[in-house]
Formats: sequence, C-alpha cells, structure tokens
Amino acid sequence: MTGISIHELGVAFSAKDGRVIAVDGVTQEVPERGFVSIVGPSGCGKSTLLSVIAGLYAPTSGHVEVGGRRVTGPDRAVGVMFQEDSTLPWKTVLENVRFPLQVAKVPKSEQLTRAQQAIDLVGLGGFERRHPAELSGGMRQRVALARTLAMRPSVMLMDEPFAALDQQTRLLLGAEVLRIWRETHQTVLFVTHDISEAILLSQQVWVMSYRPGRIIDVVDVDLPEDRDASVVATPAFNALQNRVWEVLQAESMRGFAQENAVPASGVPAS
Amino acid sequence: MTVRTKPPASRKATALPKARRTVPGLIGAVSIAATVGWIVLGGILAEAGVRAGWWEPDVLPAPSEILPVTAELLRSPDFAPDALRTLQELVFSCLFGVAAGLIVGVGFWKAPGVGRVFEPYLVSFYAVPLVLFYPVSIVLIGINQWSVITLASIMTAVPVVLNTWMGLRSVPPVYLRLAASIRCSPAQTLFRVAMPAAAPYVFAGVRLGVVYALIGTIAMEFTTAQAGLGYQIRYLYESFDAVGMYAYIVVVLGASVLLTAVLEGAERLLLRRRTVR
Ligand SMILES: Nc1ncnc2c1ncn2[C@@H]1O[C@H](COP(=O)(O)OP(=O)(O)OP(=O)(O)O)[C@@H](O)[C@H]1O
Ligand SMILES: [Mg+2]
Repeated sequence: MTGISIHELGVAFSAKDGRVIAVDGVTQEVPERGFVSIVGPSGCGKSTLLSVIAGLYAPTSGHVEVGGRRVTGPDRAVGVMFQEDSTLPWKTVLENVRFPLQVAKVPKSEQLTRAQQAIDLVGLGGFERRHPAELSGGMRQRVALARTLAMRPSVMLMDEPFAALDQQTRLLLGAEVLRIWRETHQTVLFVTHDISEAILLSQQVWVMSYRPGRIIDVVDVDLPEDRDASVVATPAFNALQNRVWEVLQAESMRGFAQENAVPASGVPAS
Repeated sequence: MTVRTKPPASRKATALPKARRTVPGLIGAVSIAATVGWIVLGGILAEAGVRAGWWEPDVLPAPSEILPVTAELLRSPDFAPDALRTLQELVFSCLFGVAAGLIVGVGFWKAPGVGRVFEPYLVSFYAVPLVLFYPVSIVLIGINQWSVITLASIMTAVPVVLNTWMGLRSVPPVYLRLAASIRCSPAQTLFRVAMPAAAPYVFAGVRLGVVYALIGTIAMEFTTAQAGLGYQIRYLYESFDAVGMYAYIVVVLGASVLLTAVLEGAERLLLRRRTVR
C-alpha cells in the first residue's frame, strides 16, 4: 500500500525577520491510489509540504510516511514534478525522459521502451529529438510529466505543474493527467492555486491557510469518477467551488494583508 | 566586486539567440570573414603608409617585405625549436590551468564559505599583472620553461575558477532538486546536471584562460627566457632587425587568431545543442 500519511508535520525557516512557519501541525492522509489536491494562497507552504513528502527537506517536527515507511530522503518510487521548468536544456526530449532511468541503472533497451511509452502517453510522439528550447512551455511541462511517468512511481507529487500556462492549456493538460491517472492509478498529491482545476481533477481538496500553513478545510469531491470538463457547468460543481472559494477568499485576504504589512513596518523611511 | 564574463546566449535569453538559431554555421563564417577582412585592411594600410612615407620602414616595414620573410621563417630549421617550446609551454599551461581552475571552482561551490573568503583575492588577480611575479618564479624554479608554465597556469586558472564557480552558483536550483529527487550520486549531480548547466560560463572562462596563457607565455619569454617565440621577438628587436621581428609577430598573431577560431568553433559545437540545430 502506497498511501501518504502526514503526522503533525511542521516546517520552519529562519529568515531575516524571524522564523517563518511554512507548515504547521499538518495531519492528513492520502489513500492509496487517491487523487488529492491542495489549494492555498501563494506562499502558504504548499511547495514546502510537497518537498518534505518528497524527502527533499527534513521537517522541523512530525513526520511523513509513504507506503507505511517513514520518509528519510528521496525515493525513486515517489515521482516529483516541480513548479519551475525542470527540463534540462542540453538534452533532447528523449534524453530528458530517459535520464532518471539511466541514473536508476535500468537496462538500456528497457530505458528506451519506457521512455518512448511515456513520451507517447503525454502526446509528444515525434518530438523525441527536439531540445527544450524548441518547445513551448506546455510541451516542456509534458516532458517533465513524461520523465516522471517513465520512472513508474507509485506516488506522484505534482507542484503546480501547469501554473505557468494559459487556462485552456491547463485544462487540457489536467484532463491528460486525469486520463493517465485512470490508466495507471497512482497515488497523486497535486498542488494548484486554481480551484476549478482542483475540483475537476481530484477526489478530495485540502485548503491550506497562509502562515502558518495549516490545512483548514478538507472537501470531498463527490462528482462522478469519469467526469470531464463539462462537469464545470453543473450545480454540484458550483456548490463545491463556492465552498472552497469562501474559505480561500478569507484566507487569501488575510495573507495579502499580512504580506503587505510586514515589509512596510520593516523598511526604514528614507 | 565580482568580475563576470558574460556567458554566450543561454536559454533564458530568448530574444538574442534568434539569429544563431537559424544559421549558426553562417554566423561563424561571417565572423571569421570579418576578422580576415580587418587583417587584410590593416595590411593594405600599412603597405600604403610605408610607400607614402608616413613612417620609416624601421618602425613598421611594409607587409610586402615582412610576409616573404615570414614564409621563409616558417620553412627554416631555426623556427621549429622556438615554436615547439612556446607550443609546449602553452599546452601545459592550458592543461594545468584549466584542470586546476575546474577543481578549485567546483571546490568553492561545494564549500561556499571557503569560496567567499578567497573570492576577493582571486578577483584582485585580474588587476595585478601576474607577469610581475616572473622574477619570483625564476628564483624559485629557475630559468627554464617550468617557471613560465607555472605562472601562465595560474593566469589561466583564475578566470576558469571564477567562471566555473559563478556558473555553478547560477544553476537553477530546480535542476539540483530534480537530481536529488531521482537520487543522483554526488558525482552524477556534478557531471550530469550541474556542470552541463554551468557549461556556458565555464567555456567563457576557459576561452579567457587560454588567451591569458598565450599572452603570459609570450610576455615571459620576451623578458627572460632563452628560447621561444617571445624570446626571438625580443632578440631581433635588440639587434635592430625590424623585418625579422615583425615576421615573428605575424606568426604569433596568426597563432592567436587560429587559437581563438578553434576555441570558438569548439564552443559552438559543444553548446550548439541547446538551441536549434
Ligand atoms: N529555503 C527557504 N528559506 C526561507 N524561507 C523559505 C524557504 N522556502 C520557502 N520559504 C518560505 O516559506 C513559505 C512557503 O513557501 P512555499 O514555496 O512552500 O509556498 P507555496 O505555497 O508553494 O507558494 P506558491 O504558490 O507561490 O508557489 C514562504 O513564505 C517562503 O518565503
Ligand atoms: Mg510553490
């Protein structure tokens, strides 16, 4: 079983103006093969939470278990897709997708078949020999998705993978992710700041608060499993969206006020 | 203060590399043609100047007089020993300097505290003409090619260290997080992620370093050595053989143009794949 369980997790950073508590007392569970989204205002600690689950940061307190085993460092069974463009510009699409397999010492012929499969799955067939500089932002994120999929992780951590893209492309790629998830049934934890994207994709939405980053609401999405983008027009979808929006709006305003208040008092008048 | 050499068009500069993107070969050919054009133009001016009596032939003899002597020089048996000596010094200084520069640059990156302590000294090396330490080098090592190689290696290493370090520091953090998440070993992280990402900076440093090695080598030979192209230039200068001296200068100029072209070609070849073929 490869669910994720988070126990009393806390992460603090020491910054110039004191300690920043990025994640505070988070206790949550992603069931095996579940698809959970996290929404929250910018800077609330979503990336930090994901990094800790990925084993890239050690938490200040609490711990995370993936598949029942305590996370102490990165694990190849946990695939991570980053918020920033992480395609390596000196490698072709195929080389990028193959890279983790080479590092994991997968036999060469298997590397190629698995990479090719992943490339086809994200719809980049025909672009294998291109370099990232020749691709659009959306295509590069597909490369990153293919690279993560080629590892065949049992858990996928996706940090706003399509945030930099326009609404239409984001919805299209979201639909791709959903289609792939239905095929592979991995456990997915998906970070986004787009409420409709979160509801459209996931079975459960966690709403995170701004500083300290806590999970302040958990919304179960009881929409049909095989839904597509047309569900956006239904009243059930609207009701969910309103519920998340209400919580988030109050939170975002608090975060905005806080963010603008802190530097104003810290900067000496000149 | 940091001395930074601008790396060639990285992938972030989206507007700039456009021309290169479409016809990289052509751009290279154009720049070589332009260089040759300038040299030819300079030659014609020099020729015209002497003929018109703007200056004495002792100051700058006519190219029509220098070039045949250069051709003769290249064929004469006296030329090879000096050229070989200079070449040897140059090759050794580049090898040692670049290797040391890469190692120290990577070391600074791995131990940022150490780097921050040494950076000001390294940067000040740019301002100090290292050639001044040649006497010290002679006293320590003796009048032989190793005193030249030692100092020229240091001159080469300085820009390589600074650029390697700078390049590694500017690697997007997400590449390193990616490397960590797929469990790259420290060596894999360095050689397969960090160094390739820093390559444009590193190459800019290597190019500078190699040019410094050439300048340093010739300059040190010029002052005290007993052999080498720089030594010949000085020897002929002191024996008032202007034409002979310029023949050697032409050889050194030709070598430096060739060296620059080779380095540029190598850089284009190695970084080509980041943009479009
Ligand atoms: N390495 C670090 N050092 C100090 N503070 C950090 C560090 N990383 C993150 N923070 C702080 O922790 C908080 C949470 O950052 P995080 O990147 O997790 O936010 P986020 O929810 O992912 O935001 P966004 O939606 O903008 O990506 C921020 O206030 C940030 O300033
Ligand atoms: Mg983030």
